[in-house]
Amino acid sequence: MLFGGALAGAVRTSVTRLDAGGETLTLEAWRRLLRDPAFADAVLFSVRIAVLATACSAAVALLIALTLRRRGTSLRALAALPVPVPHLLVAVVAVLWLAPGGVADRLLGGLPVDVVRDRAGIGIVLVYVYKEAPFLALLLLAAMGRGMHEREEAAAVLGATWWQRLRWVVWPTVRGPLVVGCIVVAAFVLGAFEVPLAVGPNTPLTIAEYAQQATQDDLLAGEGLQAAALLVAAAASILLAVAAVRLAKDPQGD
Amino acid sequence: MTERSASRRVLAPALALAMALPLGVMVMRAFADAWRAPAVIPQGWGLRGLREALSGMALDALANSLVVAVVVTTAAVALAWPAARALGERRVRHPALPFLLLALPLLVPSYATGTGLTPWFLRLGLADTLAGLVLAHLVIVLPYVTVVLLSAFGPPVTALEEMARSQGLTTAQRLRWVTLPAVGPSLAAAVLLGFLVSWSEYGSSLAVGGGRPMLPLVLLPFVRSDPQVASALSLLFLAPAAAALVLAARAARSPL
Repeated sequence: MLFGGALAGAVRTSVTRLDAGGETLTLEAWRRLLRDPAFADAVLFSVRIAVLATACSAAVALLIALTLRRRGTSLRALAALPVPVPHLLVAVVAVLWLAPGGVADRLLGGLPVDVVRDRAGIGIVLVYVYKEAPFLALLLLAAMGRGMHEREEAAAVLGATWWQRLRWVVWPTVRGPLVVGCIVVAAFVLGAFEVPLAVGPNTPLTIAEYAQQATQDDLLAGEGLQAAALLVAAAASILLAVAAVRLAKDPQGD
Repeated sequence: MTERSASRRVLAPALALAMALPLGVMVMRAFADAWRAPAVIPQGWGLRGLREALSGMALDALANSLVVAVVVTTAAVALAWPAARALGERRVRHPALPFLLLALPLLVPSYATGTGLTPWFLRLGLADTLAGLVLAHLVIVLPYVTVVLLSAFGPPVTALEEMARSQGLTTAQRLRWVTLPAVGPSLAAAVLLGFLVSWSEYGSSLAVGGGRPMLPLVLLPFVRSDPQVASALSLLFLAPAAAALVLAARAARSPL
């Protein structure tokens, strides 16, 4: 009920304007939003970061899970340590290490590329990969524990190569949890803004940063713009989730 | 030395370093009063970061964040328990709808949820209050807690409870001696996750809180302006999360 109310509230705010005569129904905020090139940049930047951070996290998680699947709980616990650490703390650590004048800069005598507050958003992606890859690896390890080792051995006995076992035993086992995890990660990255505020560039902004700035520029008219921008972020998250579920569906239907 | 033990000797320290080094630098930065480039080790140690951090709104923010996270986690477990039980025992005829309703708050940005709640909270007098923050966080925390608790319930727990009932145990005794020990690890994980999600929530706190200090909101500006104060605040930010992790790990190991 609260969530439905929140969505209804956001839609209502995006189509009303507060003025001296009270509230007026208007699509002005949506028109301004869709005509603003800064918003188009924000959508592109946010989607690019979400896709890149999710894909890199998934690849690293697969590597971690494949490496640790036959290891003890102590190694797994070590690898999972970043999971309970808040995103903002990982962003602080990234600034201390990777910003100009940071520890890496001092140790190496200069970094070849800027990775904090850079226009490409590399710093944002790095923070999310450090934080989300262990989370995805935990999901994969849980899925791999359910009899996968025995199925792999059976396939090996039947003469399957390492690649064939990965394709026909490991991948079908981990595909479901990996897709679910990736959807959660992508949705989070699309909407969160403490990490971009801490390590992201001043331009382009993410959608959430754009929405926050809208109310700082113009408190009354900005509220409609802010709500409309955030509704676009919500729609983008849901569309990405639907697309991921469709892509992950096996052609044979399982 | 086998290949496995050799790789373990490399893997364990590499993983430990990857986790410890970043946090170690944060601790060092928090107590480094003088750390001019290009020195790798600080030139002077002191408590300026901690003093600056605690002279502002950090203590209020710490208290607010703690109260909200504890209340939200308690409320979320109380609300999620019956829902997770019904879904886990497959007592819901059309489970797709509840699952969709659970997934949506995870997909929609929390800042959007908070922004949408604000006009209603303004009318109800909940804006800029701790109660408003609790409700806003609850929307985001409840699905996480329900999903984790869901994995605990199912035919094995139901069968154990049936056996206990047939042995004459009362409802309270079954809860104490059968249900809680059976679902303990999942319950501990749900409590930990719920606490951490609320504790580190930024978007909805910003939208609904109306400037009320919460730890992530107070910390963020210092990341750009004063890394030493940001590091000192980060240690405060990390402490309850680490304590919650230790408590949850202990609860997961030992019967409740």
